[in-house]
Parts: sequence; C-alpha cells; structure tokens
Amino acid sequence: MSPQLAGQIELLGQVLISGILLGGLYALIGLGMSLIMGVMKIINLAHGELMMVAMYMTYWAFTLWHVDPYVSLLIVCPLMFLLGVAIQKFLITPVMEAESILPQNQVLLTVGIGLVLANLALLLFTANYRSVPVSYASKTIYWDLKLGGQTISLSISYPFLTAFGIAVLLGAALFLFLGMTDLGRMIRATAQDKRAAALMGINTRKITYITFGIGAALVGAAGALLDPVYYLYPQIGGPFTNKAFVITILGGLGNIPGAVLGGLVLGLAESLGSVYVSLGYKDAFGFIIFVLVLIFLPRGLLGKGRAQ
Amino acid sequence: MTTRKLFALLALAAAIGLFVPALPAPAEAKAFTVGIPLPLTGAEAKFGEMEKQAYDMAVDEINAKGGVNGVKLALDIQDSGGKPETATAIVEKFITINKYPIVVGEYTSQCSYAVAGVCEKYNVPYLVVTGAADKITQQGWKNVFRLNPPASLYNLGVFSFFEQVARPKTIAILYENTDFGNSTSKAMKDYCDSHGVYVVLSEGYQAGAVDFKPILQKVKSLRPDIVYMVSYLMDASLLMRQSKELDINPQAFIGGGAGHTLPEFLQNAAEASEYCMSATLWTPQVKYPGAKEFFDNFKKKFNKEADYHGAEAYAAAYVLADTLKRSKAATSDDLRASLAGTDMMTAFGPVKFVSWGQFTNQNKMDTLVLQVVGKKYETVWPSTAASAKFVYPVPRWRERK
Repeated sequence: MSPQLAGQIELLGQVLISGILLGGLYALIGLGMSLIMGVMKIINLAHGELMMVAMYMTYWAFTLWHVDPYVSLLIVCPLMFLLGVAIQKFLITPVMEAESILPQNQVLLTVGIGLVLANLALLLFTANYRSVPVSYASKTIYWDLKLGGQTISLSISYPFLTAFGIAVLLGAALFLFLGMTDLGRMIRATAQDKRAAALMGINTRKITYITFGIGAALVGAAGALLDPVYYLYPQIGGPFTNKAFVITILGGLGNIPGAVLGGLVLGLAESLGSVYVSLGYKDAFGFIIFVLVLIFLPRGLLGKGRAQ
Repeated sequence: MTTRKLFALLALAAAIGLFVPALPAPAEAKAFTVGIPLPLTGAEAKFGEMEKQAYDMAVDEINAKGGVNGVKLALDIQDSGGKPETATAIVEKFITINKYPIVVGEYTSQCSYAVAGVCEKYNVPYLVVTGAADKITQQGWKNVFRLNPPASLYNLGVFSFFEQVARPKTIAILYENTDFGNSTSKAMKDYCDSHGVYVVLSEGYQAGAVDFKPILQKVKSLRPDIVYMVSYLMDASLLMRQSKELDINPQAFIGGGAGHTLPEFLQNAAEASEYCMSATLWTPQVKYPGAKEFFDNFKKKFNKEADYHGAEAYAAAYVLADTLKRSKAATSDDLRASLAGTDMMTAFGPVKFVSWGQFTNQNKMDTLVLQVVGKKYETVWPSTAASAKFVYPVPRWRERK
C-alpha cells in the first residue's frame, strides 16, 4: 500500500472516530429533547440553555470544591431533574392548561425561559469565557494499526471517549427504564395517548413533570460531559438548542432510538463534511440533512407512521 | 387581589427594576463627552471589557491632570453586544440625540465598519481603535480615522520572520469566517503565493465548533511547515489543544493576532500553548514611552494583564485628548481637522494618519511576533525589540516533557 493511500485511510479513520464520539454527545442532547417532545408534544427551545446551566454547575463544582466533572454528574443530574420538574410544574403546565388563541404558546414560553436563563447567567457570571482545566483535557490514546506494511496511527481523545461511554450508558439506562419499569410504561402510555392514559388511571400531570425532569437531567449530563473538552459562556445554549432540534427531527419526533441515530448522523455529517467539503459550511450539513429528511422522510429516519 | 397575584406583580416589578438602568447622573458642568460603543456582552465581551477598563484608566489619568484645556473628559460607553445593528443604533443615538461631535471605539471589524458608515453619513469624525478589516479605511470616507494598522499589515513582523529565519516551503491556513479573519488570512495567502510558499490548505470556519479534529487531521496529513491560524480566544485554545492531541508537528504554530495574544489563551490552552507564536501589534516589552507604565498600572488596578487591545484603547483616549486640545472648538468639523493633524507618540506606538494606496487616514506601524516561552508571552521578533530568543523549529509534542 502506498503511503498516500495510508494517509487517506488514516484521515478517514480519524474523521469517523471524531464524528462518532461527537455524535454520542449530540445523541445525549437530542434524547432529552425527543423525550419531552414525545410526551408533551412541544419543542423545548430552552434545551440548550438548560445544558448551559448544567455546564455552569459543573464548572463551579470543579472550581470551588475540585469535584471532577464526571463525578459531578451525580450532583448535576439530580439538580437538573429538580429544575426540570420545577419548570414543568410552575411554568409550562399552567400555560398548557390555559385556553389560548395561540396553540404554540408553550413553545414561546420555552423560548422565554431560555432567554431568562441565558441572561441570568450573564448577570451572575458575566460574559467571560470559562473552561474546566482538568488534567486530562488533552489526554489522548494513540492507536497504531499495521495495514499493508504501513502504520496508521489514530488518536482517540480520552475525555471524548469517556463522554461517549457515559452517554451510551445513560442512553441504555433510559431505554431499559422506558421499556421495563412501570413508570417508564406510564411515560410511554402518556406519550402515545394522553387521554387514554389518564382514563387508565395514570396521573398524566405527574408524568409530565417527571418527563421534563428526565429530559433536563439528560441534557445536564451532556453539559457536564462537554465541560472538559469545550468551554462555556452564557450564550452557549442557542447553537445546541438548534442541534438538539435537528437531531429530534432527524430521528422522528419523540422517537428514542431515532434520537440516538440522529445524534450520530449529525456528528458524522459535521466531521465528514468539514474535511471532504468545506469547513466553513460545517453547520450547514446538519441542516441540509434536516431539510432532506423533512422532504423525503417527514416522520424522521426511524419514524413510524401513525394514523391521525 | 389574591396573594398569589400580588406576589406575581411584585416579582414583575422587581424584574423590571433589575433591567431598567439607573438614571444617568447629571453631567458635570464642564465636561466633554465622547460616545463609545463596545461589546460588553456576547461573544466578544472579553475584549470589550478590557478596552473599557483601558479607556476609563486613561480618562482618569487625563482628568487627574486637570483634563484638556480645563475641560474634563467623560465617556458614554454603551453595550453593542458585538452586533453591527445594535452598534449602528447606538451611534445613531449618539449623533442625533446626544449630539456628541465625535465617536470612538467598537471592537469587531463588522461593527466598526457599520459604525464608520453611520458616522460618514452624519459627517461626524470616527476614530477606529480595534476593527482591523482593510475595507474600513479603503472607502475614501473622510470622517474615518484608524489608530490600529489594517489586518493586511498585522503580519508584517511574521513576514520578515519568514524571510530571515523560517524560510517555510509549505503552510496551512485556518481562519475564522469574519471580516478580520478573512482580511488577515488573505494577506497571508497573497504573501505566500507571491513568495513561493505553497499553501497546502486554506479553510475558513464558523466560530463555536466543538471539534476541530477532522480538519486538523487533514492538516496533519498534508505535513505543512507552518500552521497559521486566525482565531478569537476560545477557538485558538481548542485548536492548539486538539493539535497537541493529534500530535501535529509543524515547524511552528503561528496565530494572526486576536485570540492567540490574550493572557486567557495561556490559561485555557495550558501546556498546549507553549511555543505558539503570534503576530501582534504591541507587547508590554515594546520600547514606546509609557508602554510599561500602562501595563504595570493596568495590572495593579484591574489585577489582570492587558494585551494590545487594552493598549489600543488606552492610546485612543490620549489621541482624543490631544485632538481636543488642538481643536478650535468642540465641533465635528474642527475635531476632524484636528484629528487629521495628529502626530504623536503613545503607549501603543506612534500615531499619524496617512493615506497611501487605497487607504485613507490610516495609522502605519511596525508589528511584532511573540511566542509563548515558559508559559509567558515573550517578544521574539524583530530582534531589535525582542525580550527573548525565539524557539524555532519548535520541539515535537511527544518529545516535550
């Protein structure tokens, strides 16, 4: 094999690794939004801002008490769960139950919640960029492969790999929770048909609180995992809300395995696109796929048809 | 009214109270006020904050010495959020409602360009302090004066380093898709094309990417002698950290100013910033009178280090004071004429507005190259201004401790 070909294989391998690892994090962000979408039938446009809140929690836990970001998941996730429950209980539910001219009021409400969170963070923490300087931030595992007489050396970022592993675990846990437990079944029943679920004796209002809480906890986990590899500032939420939205649509609204697939597709599309097409259009690739999916597969990649 | 509604009302009132700024204190009798739009929130807030502190510091110094011709200087600094449309609205207000005869400042090229357009429309002189895109002083606008060199000249120091030391054969260029990034990287590309340096890759990116590794891997596979980057703060840190992860080993990493010159870059990129070079306009080691005092006083006052952005703003306040001193009256016309006649030395360097080529009313100055050596910025080029010897080529990542 020629060195040029080996170089190309190395490049492709590296791009795929980066794309999949990033996709894992994206999937975690998308999962929460998809779950909320499935049960409440609203797009939570404060999703990225919730992640921002979790990122600041992780940052402060690290800065003030030297809590490792991965350990702080144990604190951040429950806190985010409570925040999610509070938002659903005191803000969204009252608006959902009010008779209004605009059926999209709840979506507008989430936009407002996002703005308040971002500006509150600006007020409290200033616009400074911050990062969590963990010792392993640029720790890397080198993986040398022998292929046809050439050495292909791939590098795998340790914090990205850890984030991916935790994301997979959380995704699997969510899947088992929804499939195996009574509470999970209640959530799915509420997502399928809220009125029927209520008739079966499910306290659907409580289910919505719990669902929003879980969604917030999941995106909170993503925020904590992102901290060691990225940076944070109050306005960081917006772009991630967009990504979560794209992932949710890609996978099919409210479809849990779909959200995982959507996250991986988006991660890979961004990586491959930035190398083989143009870096400047990196963010466009997600949206191009988004538009194509809307046109040709309006129910998403894994969306199942449902009689209206 | 139920208690609940009462509480809601109270909360609302409190919320409004938070967001309505306090009424401005009545201006002192004899004060000359200048309007300055700056990004105090948003992605560029870091730079805006440093510039605001430098302006305030300079104005305090000037006023402590009795002001200008007995008149105290006052600043009306307003937050543009780094958005050109907000900056435009602020400056429209400065000119039409506040009736300020001169406008100073802004940070990004986009905002400076937008503000320049407004000032030209109202025939009010505008001193650009940081915005570096070439086009700002290439429009033939007679009201627009620029203190900092244009982006295409930021690299002059790097070019002479290339010619006399590095002699690179290949280069990879990564830049943020902004006016500044485009101008600076285009100047580098043009230089390389005309001096036989082969550009193996030139890619613009949108700010905010989480993972640059795919494109960096491509850079690695092309094995350039130099990796040249034009980035703001956090992207600069991520690019260096991820270059280290991917074990990319060019002869040198060189930044085009902005992010690579900030003290925060050293903290955020940590060991990955070591030996990284950057074009810069100013370092505390320059031999201009007042430069070291400015740096020391700034550090004492704000407990952080100023970079060239702070020096620019600090010098701008002195240029303004000098302009006002020589001006017959505080009108736009007199101030414009007086600004055009500026010829002074500042802590940032010599300031004189000249016109050449397509440029009008543009200050011209030498630029430097700095390098991170031992977790500190050192001026390494030109050798006459150097505070430390450059390290070139830089050691490979895996061979470092």
